[in-house]
Amino acid sequence: MTWFVIGYYTVLLAASCLAAYFNKRSLFLLLFSLTLVSFVLGIVGGTGALKFVAISAGVLALAGMVAYGFREFLIVLASDDLAKELRTAPMTAAFGMFVIFTYAVMGIFAPLIAPHGEAEIIASAFAPADENMLLGADQLGRDMFSRIVYGTRNSVGLALTATLMAFILGALAGLLAATKGGWFDQFMGRLADVIMSIPSLIFALLMLSIFGPHVHVIIIAVAIIYAPRVFRLTRAVAGNIVVMDYIEAAKLRGEGTWYLIRKEILPNSMAPLIAEFGLEFCFVFLLVAGLSFLGLGIQPPTADWGSMVRENATLISFGDITPLIPAAAIALLTVAVNFVVDWMLWRSAGLKET
Amino acid sequence: MGDILGLVGKRLGLGLIILLVISIIIFFMVELLPGDIAQAVLGQGATEENLRALREEMGLNQPAIVRYLDWLRGAVMFDFGNSIVTGESVANTISERFINTLFLAAYAAMIAVPVSIVLGVLVALLRNSIFDRVANVVSLSFISSPEFFLGYILILYFAVKWSMFPAIASLSNDMSFLELLQRAFLPALTLVLVVMAHMMRMTRAAIINLLASPYIEMARLKGTPPWKVIVRHALPNAWAPIINVVALNLAYLITGVVLVEVVFVYPGIGQALVDAVSKRDFPVVQACCLIFAATFILLNLAADVGAILTNPRLRHPK
Repeated sequence: MTWFVIGYYTVLLAASCLAAYFNKRSLFLLLFSLTLVSFVLGIVGGTGALKFVAISAGVLALAGMVAYGFREFLIVLASDDLAKELRTAPMTAAFGMFVIFTYAVMGIFAPLIAPHGEAEIIASAFAPADENMLLGADQLGRDMFSRIVYGTRNSVGLALTATLMAFILGALAGLLAATKGGWFDQFMGRLADVIMSIPSLIFALLMLSIFGPHVHVIIIAVAIIYAPRVFRLTRAVAGNIVVMDYIEAAKLRGEGTWYLIRKEILPNSMAPLIAEFGLEFCFVFLLVAGLSFLGLGIQPPTADWGSMVRENATLISFGDITPLIPAAAIALLTVAVNFVVDWMLWRSAGLKET
Repeated sequence: MGDILGLVGKRLGLGLIILLVISIIIFFMVELLPGDIAQAVLGQGATEENLRALREEMGLNQPAIVRYLDWLRGAVMFDFGNSIVTGESVANTISERFINTLFLAAYAAMIAVPVSIVLGVLVALLRNSIFDRVANVVSLSFISSPEFFLGYILILYFAVKWSMFPAIASLSNDMSFLELLQRAFLPALTLVLVVMAHMMRMTRAAIINLLASPYIEMARLKGTPPWKVIVRHALPNAWAPIINVVALNLAYLITGVVLVEVVFVYPGIGQALVDAVSKRDFPVVQACCLIFAATFILLNLAADVGAILTNPRLRHPK
C-alpha cells in the first residue's frame, strides 16, 4: 500500500459519498462502480493500472473544464439567439467545438506555429526529442512537430475541399431531382444506387490506380464516391418540402426552378444538411487518411498525417508512441466533429427519446 | 411461400444487374487511361514494335466490347488473365489470399456479432443512464478512429509492451488451427473494435425505436419486468433491423480489412490490391475490385433477404 493507492481510494470514496449526499444519482453510480472496478484492476494490474485510471480521469476532467470554459466563452461572445442555442450544448459538443477551433487555428497559422519548414531536414533520421525538436525527427530527419502542424493544413484542407465538392455535387443533384422529378430523378437515383454499391475504399483505389495519386484525382474520386450519399439525403429532405403548399403557391406565381431551390427549399432543409456535412466530413477524412496511409494520398514531401503514421511505423516496435500522434490527431478531429453533429441531430430531432 | 421466392428472386436479379454495371465500370475505367495498358506497362520510352507485340499478346487490337465480354466470361469462371508485372495467373495468386481474408473476416465476425448484440440490448435497457452515455462516447471514439490507429495501438500494447501476440500476422500452411487463431488475433481484434461499435449503436437504436411502440407500453403497464419486455417483446421484432445491421457491418468489414491487412502485413486480398495499385498491375486491380464489389453486394443482398424473411410486412408492399 503506497500513499498513492490510499489517496486514490480516499478521493474516490469521498467523491462518491459527496455525490450520494447531494443526490447526484448517476454521478454516484459512476464513481462507485469505478471504485469497485478499481479493486479488481488494482489486484490484477497493480499500481500501474490505478495510475492509468487516475491519469485518464485527470485528462477527462481537464477536457471537461476546457469544454465548459469554451462554451461559456462562446455564450458571452454570441448574440442572444445563438447564446440560447449554445446553452443547450452538452459538454461533449462544447469539447468538439473547442477541438475544431484549435485545429482551425493550427491549420491557418501553421507557418507561424511550426518552428521549422515541413520539408526541412534538420537532424539525423529518427533523432530523439531535444529542446530544438519537441517530438524528435522523422525517418528523414525532419521535425515531427512542425510536420504535424503543417499536416493540419494539408490533410484537413484536402478532406474539406473533397467534402465540399461532394456536397455541392450531391446537394445540387438532389435538389434538382426533387424539383424536376421524372426521368432525371429516376436516372440519378439508379446512378446513386450503383455507385453506393461499390465499397468506397475499393472504388477510390481503382480510380487512383488508373489516374495516379494526384491531389485533384483524390478530390474528384472522393466527390464521386460520397456525392450519392448527399444526393439521397437531399432528395429525401427536399422531397418532403416540395409537396408543401407554399411551394405550390410559388410555382403558381410562375417562379423558376432555380428560385424554388434557392429561396424556398434550401432554407428549409438547412438543418439536416449541415449535420450531414459534418458526418460526410468524417467519412471523407477517414477515407483520405486511409488512402494516404496506403501511400496513395498527398505525395511527399508535403506533410500529411496518414502517410506520417506509415513512414514512422517502425518506431512503434521500439515502444515509441510518436508515430501514433498524427493518427490520434485524425481520431480526435473525427470524434470532435461527431460530437457536434450528434448535438445538432439531437436538436433537430426535437428531443425525442433516443 | 411463392411470393417470398418471387421477392427474393427479384432482389437477386437486381443484385446481378448492379454487379454487371459495376463490372462494366471496372473494365471501362481502365480504358480511360491515357494511351492504353501496353503504353502504361512499357512506359514512355517503349519502341513501336514492342508496343505492337504486347498489344498483340494482350489482345488489345480487338474492340473494347469484345475484350470486355472475354474478360467477363473469364471472370465468371474465376479466370482473370495474367498479371502484367509478374506474368502469373491472377486467379492463382489471389485465391489463397482470398481464403485468408475470408478467415480473418469470419474470425472477427464470430467475436463481434454476439458481443455487440448483447451489449446493444444492455445499453438499450440502461438508456439515458450514465453507462449509456459512457458507452455512447466510447463507441463514437472507436468509430471515429482510423483502423490503422487502433491497429498500431494494439500492436504497441499487446505485441511490443506485453508481447502476448505477434505484431506481424504471417501465416503458413503447416500451422495448426490454434496457432492460426493466435497469429490472426490482433488484426481480428482491430476489426472487432471498429465493427462492434457500429453494430452496438445500431442495435441500440433499433431496440429503442421499438420501445416507443404501444404494445411495449402495454407490456410495461401490465407489470412485466423491464428485461422481459426487451427480451420477450422487443427483441423478436427487432431481429429484422438487427440482421440488417449485422449484414451491413459485415460488408463494412470487407473494406476495413484492406487497411488492417496492410498494418499487420497479413497475406490477404486487400494487401494484394494495394500492392497492385501502386505497381499499376491492372488485371489484379480489376479482379480484386470485382471480388470486393461482389462480396459487398452479396452481403447487402443477404441483408435485404433477411429483412424480408423476418418481417412479414415487407412481403406485402402497398
